[in-house]
Amino acid sequence: MTYESYNYDKWHEAVPSQAGYIAECSVSGCDLGTEDFNNISDIFYAHNDIFYIVDSGNNRIVAIDSDFDNVVGVYDKFMMPDNSETTLKNPTGIYILAENNCMYIADNGNSRILISDLNGNIIKEITKPDSEIYSQDKTFLPQKVIADKAGNIYVVLNNITTGAAMFSSDGDFTGFYGANRVEPTAQIIRNYLTDIFVSDEKKSRRIRNIPTGITSFDIDGDFIFTCTSSSSQKTDTVKKLNAAGDNIFSDSQITFGDYTPMYDTSQNRLLAPAIVDIDISEDGNINCLDFTTGRIFQYDKDCNLLFITGTSSDQLGGFGNVSAVESSGDKLYVTDSMRNTVTVFSETDFGKIVHEASELYNSGYYEEALQPWQEVLKRDGNYRQAYIGVALGYLRKGDYENSMKYAKLADDSDIYNKAFEGWRNDFIKSNFRKILMIIFTVLFFVVSFRRFRNRRRNND
Amino acid sequence: MIDLKPVQWVKHIAVHPFEGFENMRWKKSGSIKIAFFIVFLLFLSLIAKERFYGFQFHSSYDKTFNIIPFISGSIIIFTAWVIGNWSVCTLLDGEGTMKNICIYSAYALVPYIAQNFINTVLSHLLIRDEFVFMQAIEIIGVCWTALLLFSAVKSVHQYTFRKTVLAIILIMASIMIMFILLVLFLALIQQIYNFILTVYTEISYRVRV
Repeated sequence: MTYESYNYDKWHEAVPSQAGYIAECSVSGCDLGTEDFNNISDIFYAHNDIFYIVDSGNNRIVAIDSDFDNVVGVYDKFMMPDNSETTLKNPTGIYILAENNCMYIADNGNSRILISDLNGNIIKEITKPDSEIYSQDKTFLPQKVIADKAGNIYVVLNNITTGAAMFSSDGDFTGFYGANRVEPTAQIIRNYLTDIFVSDEKKSRRIRNIPTGITSFDIDGDFIFTCTSSSSQKTDTVKKLNAAGDNIFSDSQITFGDYTPMYDTSQNRLLAPAIVDIDISEDGNINCLDFTTGRIFQYDKDCNLLFITGTSSDQLGGFGNVSAVESSGDKLYVTDSMRNTVTVFSETDFGKIVHEASELYNSGYYEEALQPWQEVLKRDGNYRQAYIGVALGYLRKGDYENSMKYAKLADDSDIYNKAFEGWRNDFIKSNFRKILMIIFTVLFFVVSFRRFRNRRRNND
Repeated sequence: MIDLKPVQWVKHIAVHPFEGFENMRWKKSGSIKIAFFIVFLLFLSLIAKERFYGFQFHSSYDKTFNIIPFISGSIIIFTAWVIGNWSVCTLLDGEGTMKNICIYSAYALVPYIAQNFINTVLSHLLIRDEFVFMQAIEIIGVCWTALLLFSAVKSVHQYTFRKTVLAIILIMASIMIMFILLVLFLALIQQIYNFILTVYTEISYRVRV
């Protein structure tokens, strides 16, 4: 480990921590025995244990085996249904749907989505929709693409801020999905108020209040996770959308990425997080890739921060311009579009225990998670999530005293409140007689003292 | 009529919000030492509320402890109130001296302080569902102190009801003005300090060369 890994404590301040992942190796095109990559923009791990890397600069898609040491295929030419050949131009996104074994490619330079089988035979080509909802003066520049189980296709477009374009499995445009909200800043409120008085002409000349568009997304079962890389935007940087397009994270006040943007003196700017890619691993953890710092922030299902991995420096595990993140098993793959490498991170022993504990914890097995969380605390006493886990475990077990202790250490007053309630009930139950006796003796003394005093006063 | 020891007056006033201060004024009682002690207790109660509150209701930042907010929240505000009160009521034909204003106002704070301490203790015995009781105690304490403060201003200056209301509004305004001036003054001092510092640095560089 060559860079210092950290985590956040209960007051959202950075504290040193054990690393959950360490960089194993960094793989370039040369290492794999193919032409060097040029501007990698996406990576996808498919159900057939093959990695697909979108090599934008070389206009191709490279398939790599699951051990990440052999190229198993290069897609640069595709066969159209009418047997003519077509090539990609600056492809930027790929998705492989397990249900129909199809490859969905965002062919940005050609303004189209290609749906092809795994042999390179194109099944369908989706171009700019001819619909009233899609404003015709806007270009169609697909950035990222995913498809759900039913074959519906979602496309992130470069210049569209109204959400991802949604296509049915037949390729018909059905609308937009999951637009970001406008952040309620003071300026927007002011504009809203002045709008009441200002003429329409003036209004039309003002910069409009539009939210930033989606940068990337990933699908996990029924939910689509989107991220937005605008570093000026604070709301909706990471969203979990259900089928109706509602954001499940919208109520919870979670900051994704670093809590306090660090001031970088060498570049004279604030390092505000810009989440460029998001990936949901098999066990449901959310990996957010931060462009500014080159770090991967891993969250569990409930958005509790697990690990912060990676850095932006010239070393193994350090990045220039990160572009995409993908996970498979206990490994993380991060692509760098400047150095044109894919860095493989593997889980440490510590990471393994945390993942085990957090999986048990998130499935509601608090008692079973108690032991692994305690193991985590042995290795890293700064790990806040472990204190919460231990506190909940003890609470479920009925060991209220320990639960209170750990809830205090975790700064979780909800758990403390419950544990205290239990502890108080136990205390009253076991000491009921003593408490009654104390109350009665005190009452007796007070009453007799008053009588004594009154009698003396009357005698005076 | 009533003959009470200095400490007993505190209790008498707390339980007689309307005629307590008048009685004390009639008897020419009230001790400045006790008044200062009450203000000190206010300071302690604020600290207790921040640091010794039950964890289920309030969690404090444990890494550092800054005592300045507690001093300004108790002693400085009280001083500002007394000075504002004195300066306003001197102009409004009030009869109170600075010492009496200080004593009467401090005595009026007792229910608020008691409320702080009682709630601090209760916060270790109750759970969140029972927070209403603490809230009720807090509301009662604050209202009681407000009533006593009103009564204190009324009787220390021998005002009518309407004049007291006017005086209290003016006192609030004077406190505001005092704080604004204070901030301005501090900003000015800082500017001057910076100026002197830069001049000093400049000179020290020249002298060395």
